[in-house]
Amino acid sequence: MAVAAWLLPYGLGSYSIHVVNIAIIYALLAIGMGLAMGISGQINLAQVAFFGVGAYTLAILTTDSGYGFWAAAILALLATVATGLFVGIPALRMQSHYLGIVTLGLALGFINWITNASITGGADGISGIPLPTLPGIDLSSEYLYYYLELVVCALGLGFGLFVVRTSLGRRLRAMRDDSLAAGAMGAEIPLLRMTAFLLASLYGGLAGVLYAGLIRYVAPETFSIGNMFILLAMVIIGGRRSLVGCVVGAIGLTLIREWLSDFSTYAQLGYGVVVVLMVVFAPTGLAGIPCRVRDFVNRRRRGKGEDRARLRPFQPYEAVEVPDAAGEPLLEIRSVTKDFRGLRALDDVSLTVEPGEIRGIVGPNGSGKTTLFNVISGFYRASSGQVRFAGRDTTTARPYALSLLGVARTFQNLRLFGQLTVRENILVALDRTRTYTIWQYAVWQPGVVRRERQLRRQAQDLLERFGLADFAEASPGSLPYGIQRRIEIARAMAARPRLLLLDEPAAGLNGEEVQQLARIVRSIRDSGTTVVLIEHNMGLVMSLCEHVTVLSSGGVIAEGTPAEVVAAPEVIEAYLGDSAMADVPRPEPAPPPTPTQAPAAPAEEPASTEAPASKEATR
Amino acid sequence: MRMLPAPRVARTETAATLAVDDLSVHYGGVRAVRSISFSVQPGASVGIIGANGAGKTSTLKALMGLVPRGGGRIMLGERDLTRVRARDMVRHGIGYVPEGRHVFPGLTVEKNLLLGAYARRWDAETRGTLVEVHELFPVLGEMSQRLAGALSGGQQQMLSIGRALMAKPRILLLDEPSMGLSPKLVGEILSALKRLREEGMSLLLVEQNAKLTFGATSHCLVMENGSVAMTGTSDALSRDIRVRQIYLGL
Amino acid sequence: MQETLQTLVGGLSLGAVYALVAMGFSLVYRTMGLVNFAHADIAMIGAYAASTFYLTSKLPFAVAMLVAIAVTAAIGLVIERVLRPLENKDFDLMLIGTIGFGIVLQAVAILIWGTTGRAVRSPVQAAPLDLFGVRVRTYDLLVMAVAALAVTGLAWFLARTKRGAAMQAVAMDHEAATAVGINVGRSNALAFSIGAGLAALAGGLVGPMLYVDASLGGALGIKGFAAAMLGGFGSIPGAVVGGLAIGVLDSYAAGHFQGYSVLVTFLVFTAAIMIRPMGVFGERTVSRA
Repeated sequence: MAVAAWLLPYGLGSYSIHVVNIAIIYALLAIGMGLAMGISGQINLAQVAFFGVGAYTLAILTTDSGYGFWAAAILALLATVATGLFVGIPALRMQSHYLGIVTLGLALGFINWITNASITGGADGISGIPLPTLPGIDLSSEYLYYYLELVVCALGLGFGLFVVRTSLGRRLRAMRDDSLAAGAMGAEIPLLRMTAFLLASLYGGLAGVLYAGLIRYVAPETFSIGNMFILLAMVIIGGRRSLVGCVVGAIGLTLIREWLSDFSTYAQLGYGVVVVLMVVFAPTGLAGIPCRVRDFVNRRRRGKGEDRARLRPFQPYEAVEVPDAAGEPLLEIRSVTKDFRGLRALDDVSLTVEPGEIRGIVGPNGSGKTTLFNVISGFYRASSGQVRFAGRDTTTARPYALSLLGVARTFQNLRLFGQLTVRENILVALDRTRTYTIWQYAVWQPGVVRRERQLRRQAQDLLERFGLADFAEASPGSLPYGIQRRIEIARAMAARPRLLLLDEPAAGLNGEEVQQLARIVRSIRDSGTTVVLIEHNMGLVMSLCEHVTVLSSGGVIAEGTPAEVVAAPEVIEAYLGDSAMADVPRPEPAPPPTPTQAPAAPAEEPASTEAPASKEATR
Repeated sequence: MRMLPAPRVARTETAATLAVDDLSVHYGGVRAVRSISFSVQPGASVGIIGANGAGKTSTLKALMGLVPRGGGRIMLGERDLTRVRARDMVRHGIGYVPEGRHVFPGLTVEKNLLLGAYARRWDAETRGTLVEVHELFPVLGEMSQRLAGALSGGQQQMLSIGRALMAKPRILLLDEPSMGLSPKLVGEILSALKRLREEGMSLLLVEQNAKLTFGATSHCLVMENGSVAMTGTSDALSRDIRVRQIYLGL
Repeated sequence: MQETLQTLVGGLSLGAVYALVAMGFSLVYRTMGLVNFAHADIAMIGAYAASTFYLTSKLPFAVAMLVAIAVTAAIGLVIERVLRPLENKDFDLMLIGTIGFGIVLQAVAILIWGTTGRAVRSPVQAAPLDLFGVRVRTYDLLVMAVAALAVTGLAWFLARTKRGAAMQAVAMDHEAATAVGINVGRSNALAFSIGAGLAALAGGLVGPMLYVDASLGGALGIKGFAAAMLGGFGSIPGAVVGGLAIGVLDSYAAGHFQGYSVLVTFLVFTAAIMIRPMGVFGERTVSRA
């Protein structure tokens, strides 16, 4: 491939090499677009404006201000990145089509400006851009310019792929698949969105500089909305989720466009039709087709043969000494209330979880259990009241901050990152670094690689511990539900949390799987992680929890040991609607597991609101 | 069916038995409901109870055709409804009150009710049905011009039931009408259901609230893990200790 | 003062057109949750079709307009049918799909009508009115009247007819709508074709005000979009208010910033939408799971 690219100019005429040079510039643009749209899920319709900012800044600096080409190129890149960050600001507040409209509007504004401003030469554009100079290479020859472009594009593609396959790209892809879950795994969503625009504009600026150096003339029509949509077509047809696909799409479409230049309108018609067909029938583009074929073949084969991959048993964590229960509580909810537009989902809820506990939270549908989890994990902000975790006030903390503090959770309806492999799902959560460490990508890539190796080792250990090693490269959506549930727990544990929140971990599991789940949860607790679980399977709650809190209609109606709680008339009433049934004699209950600590508040009193020992904690 | 004069909301023009035979539901790889069978005689009232996740809602949705029916057979009288699409079920006399009420929040109470009669012509008779629904739930008449989204949970539940009645169904399927309601409101819903029963309406009631269900039905199925764990008369089940074991996992 | 009023009047007539475009967007968004990026190009096709029937076929302006509306409504049906498999599934893909349709429509317009644009003479020949020293073109008044009529008609349809109510019901809860017997697919198709018809109306009306060419859609569409967002996506009154606001903003920007008017318009718009992403009349919050 590389050899073919290297030898290509020898077989081309002077016009053909010009077309190829243009194609490579579009390839760079498409990589940037793919990074923002395909990898990060940010609908960016201003890529052509980034291209323009790069080209025009270079043109103005070299012709007006007398800068040399390379100095101007650096400044042009900086200007483009600044523009990219500016255009990205709206992404902090809006997503999807809103973002598409705003970015398109800003691109339109930019086009309007370059068409009318005097500094940009208006509709005539700017000509007379000096030739870039390289010692020993005459860049006025398009053949030699080709090699410059080829090197830049190869480096750009390489860097893009490096980003995609390592920590940063994984987080970006996780954000694309499910930004809420990514936040809960410690990803700083706002910074990542800005990073996506930064990358897109970086490639846009690079393409702009190369374009200005190649053509040595810039004019508004190159940066039109029409070209923006052609660029979009390249990315969609090539495959927005694969950078190689984007490059193939860009080069392919530029060549076809050139080839059909006498029938340009028909060609345009063709792109449009292909985009529509791709979206409906092959949303992953050309790059996605091999993968789809492979999936199809695998499915056929699996239908016949024996499926060798299997879920292996969970290997328990090594037990550690549970810290002294007399210390401060790990989690304290103090009279938290949560209102949704007039609807009170949580009403003055208080509860305290001690380190080393397995706490059950039960209650009928709609009693506010998941809302409580969302308040604890930072998805919702309590309307009033306070949440304290490990002695800190975390009432207003963001999900990522809570994740870094040591709160991990699973979701009732499974929120695995669907386009990531099982291993990558785990890696996202294992990665505990802050977003600012991405400076390493710019200056010290070996650091990234080293960290990556370390993460992968840990991921392998974790996959083996949870018996998931056989599925490491599978996409979670293709796996049975029970395995997906286990992946979610493994992913939550990857963050090595102090507090694990499990939202209905047994939902949809069969009897055997519930038994395995119970073993896993106990081992997690023994490893030093406190567990709070919402569960409807009362059998599991009874066998697992030392302590159960019962919610009904947004309030705590009972608290105590499982045996106490199921005997409480309020609980029977809440569940069966009938307190009279509480009088029916119960069968001999299974002996409750030996509690590691004494139950706290009596059943009737929804835990006291005074703050025990928290002052000392903040010393 | 719209030709017949029907003075009472619940009167069915012909007696018909709803018979569900061997119905299953799959979601991806999970079997949410495993070949469940039951029937509702004309004018009878049958309950399906069970803890969360037992497969009650899936059963009802599959019955309605809102999720793919994984095998089985659904008959209403002589008519085979197995392949009838969800949007046509109401034209065959199946009224559906979804879990979580699902009123149209941005439309007025009156519009919500009228849309219940979407499959019929909007005429004087529809107005008549509207009056009858208002009689059953006076609050819906009082709040006629209010937006449905502004109603309380209980009122929305009444609206959801009223909307289903507007189609003059032969059988009413209710999914957890008590969810999130206070005992007093549950009582009101219960008495409305009783009245419908007295008027001869067939009911299929899916509920977590066992007490309400026993009070409103003659027979019940108890579901557990997607299958029927027990069946019997509501009276007998209300005294049966095993129901409680199934619920509380003892 | 005089000048300010003059700008205001100029902005209002263009704003009425933006409001029509925004209304079409909003209707489709409200019923299907789909942002139709091809909407702008449908408006452009509408403008071309109306001008062709009016100038070439010598039909009366009103009749030409009706034919154009019928043509674009049919286009709307096709788009809806092709993209139906994606409904309620992948939002971003549908959005890109409509962009694809936009590319197709632009190519079709060039194939049929060529690349050179055309000027459409005003169907109203009366001299401009003079109101308190402000010159008002009679055609502008006509545009505002037609737009007002269309708004009233749409509001009446949604509020007073069974189909209109059903269309809203589908938007609010498609499962419950199915349960009461509404054919969701057909209702969406109707919504889409009404939206396309509104776009054609906007395009046809704007013909005599601007120059009709293949890029008309871009200018009209993005501002219609912005109007819909500013007013609150999915809200009909919001579309009207947003449309007029963008029209006036546009008119002022053109008066004060000349060449940079589009840039200024969109910077102001971006700032406004950052402060209030749900728009003036919008209810739902943006991208909240």
